[in-house]
Amino acid sequence: MQLIRELYMYRTMTVSLVKKDLKGRYKGSVLGFLWTFINPLLQLGVYTLVFQVILKNPMPNYYMHLFVALVPWIFFSSALTTGSKAVLGQANMVKKIYFPREVLPLSYTLSSFVNMALSFIVIFAVYFISPMELKSAPLLMLPVIMIIQLFLVAGVTLITSSLTVYLRDLEHIMSVLNMALMYVSPVVYPVSYIPEKYMSLYLINPMSPVIIAYRDILYCGTFPEFKIVFLAFAESMIIFFAGLLIFGKLKKHFAEEL
Amino acid sequence: MAVIEVRDVKKSFKVYFDKGQTIKEKLLFSNRRRYEERVILDGISFDIEKGEAVGLVGHNGCGKSTLLKLLTKIIYPDSGNIKITGRISSLLELGAGFHPDMTGRENIYTNASIFGLTRKEIESRIDDIIEFSELEEFIDNPVRTYSSGMYTRLAFSVAINVDADILLVDEILAVGDAAFQAKCFEKMLDIKSKGTTIVIVSHSLSQVEQICGRTVWIDKGKIRMDGSPNEVHPKYLEYMGLKRRNTKTAPKSQEVKEENQEKEFFAEITKAEIIGEDGTASCKYRTGEKVTLKIYYKADPSKLDGVLIGLAFYRSDNLNCYGTNTVRERIDYINLKEQGEITCEIDKLNFVKGSYRLDIAIRSKDMFAYDYKAKAVEFTVYSTIDEVGVAKLDHKWTFD
Repeated sequence: MQLIRELYMYRTMTVSLVKKDLKGRYKGSVLGFLWTFINPLLQLGVYTLVFQVILKNPMPNYYMHLFVALVPWIFFSSALTTGSKAVLGQANMVKKIYFPREVLPLSYTLSSFVNMALSFIVIFAVYFISPMELKSAPLLMLPVIMIIQLFLVAGVTLITSSLTVYLRDLEHIMSVLNMALMYVSPVVYPVSYIPEKYMSLYLINPMSPVIIAYRDILYCGTFPEFKIVFLAFAESMIIFFAGLLIFGKLKKHFAEEL
Repeated sequence: MAVIEVRDVKKSFKVYFDKGQTIKEKLLFSNRRRYEERVILDGISFDIEKGEAVGLVGHNGCGKSTLLKLLTKIIYPDSGNIKITGRISSLLELGAGFHPDMTGRENIYTNASIFGLTRKEIESRIDDIIEFSELEEFIDNPVRTYSSGMYTRLAFSVAINVDADILLVDEILAVGDAAFQAKCFEKMLDIKSKGTTIVIVSHSLSQVEQICGRTVWIDKGKIRMDGSPNEVHPKYLEYMGLKRRNTKTAPKSQEVKEENQEKEFFAEITKAEIIGEDGTASCKYRTGEKVTLKIYYKADPSKLDGVLIGLAFYRSDNLNCYGTNTVRERIDYINLKEQGEITCEIDKLNFVKGSYRLDIAIRSKDMFAYDYKAKAVEFTVYSTIDEVGVAKLDHKWTFD
């Protein structure tokens, strides 16, 4: 409760850190903020070239199949890679000034979230100009899934950013874990490739139900199953609160460890 | 009402000789991770009342900055507790979160938000902040184009305009040029008069004296003395003098009782007198009389590397009426001879009637007092007219 009140008091700080991060990211480059759109577009171009033209994947519009999973995946992996440095990278601030430390991982998560949301605009734009059609009713579920994933990523960032302060190795372990997790989530292949008997195990990976839901909405044009949404919600909440707990325990000695 | 309550706070740091931060090092070389538990604060307790201004003094490494960090909740005590009521602003780190590519104005928003201000609160203060920083022309330029002086001026302006209930300051009045420093100083007094509680860590005792009504002297993690600056500072200076001499002359292994040692001789004021118009040091002067201050000294020039002379006039009720020193007056550091005489002519001794005393100090470049003669001269001033106040302003009346 105390934490919520304090975070509310420091809301302007969170917002201004998010803005600073978004603005700072492409500062100095000629195209500036446009890169937020160009980047995913170029990626989409590469995937089309590789999987559609060169590998001749039989799945219809495989590049879109991949892309709608890849965008949320990039958001998630930011928590494991750069997000783990959310506290470490601000050592100067943490050592010299008081503010609720949670602001750092949370604002980092929010700025990645905004980036993902902007990438979704690219997806819609592609749908608009290409012959593919997207059913609009399931899109109502999109914000719900996005919020669920936001809590998941926030939880993971809270954990990685606080642990990295004490164990600098984690940075490197995370990049390996990042790759491994990507292949046990249905990012590059459809979930139907997974044998039924391993399915329940497979769904323990919190990103699996999230990506399944995204693909149902943005690629298949169907409502995600209730079971999948509930699973995504439950797993995200567990990780989010575990994250708050771990971070809360570890934050007291940040200033001394940094 | 006490706004800061500190109860038996202890804090120690583990100082590692060779600290591993990777898994390999943590697992394999656990025996290599030898450390020394260094006690920084060893049971500190005090209360600070609302509106009080307190100076924390002590030599380097005595724990005063750690204490300040504990008060800001940057670090937490090992045992004991600290209770604080109200919003804290700290001038520990200036310009936290500044981004070089963003404009001064944008950075004000970021920086102020780190102090916990909401957008609305920042908007209501931003004009004051910009005005105080004197950067109106440059406020929409990126801060990477600022000079370092401009940068700190902006940062300081934000920090001091937070309007906190409690202001924590760590050696900051060394910001910008002399004019800006004076402005900061005035602002501090202004903040104090508004009832803000202020805690200052400083090596400059004169700063503490001017702002604070109370000094807490911390030594070896404990409170050594707690009282008014008048009581604490002379004792502190004396102790520092002994300490300094010990580190200079005595080898570390020898434990010598401090009290039994004689003071090492650097310089001494042997006599001081104020000579009035009648050519005698009568100690009674008329308001506006032309007087001459003579200071006689002995010194060891081989140990000295330029000194400054400081004067401080006090009224009998301890009001500091006038203070100055040779450095403030842009006079070069003085090279003393073995024995000599310093003369200071005062064209008009413009105090109103009352009893006064003069303190004189000979100080090194880093403000260490080689000799501090309190009450070097005590004198009374009389006047033929019954003025009131402190000083007489030369004036003429004209009636039309």
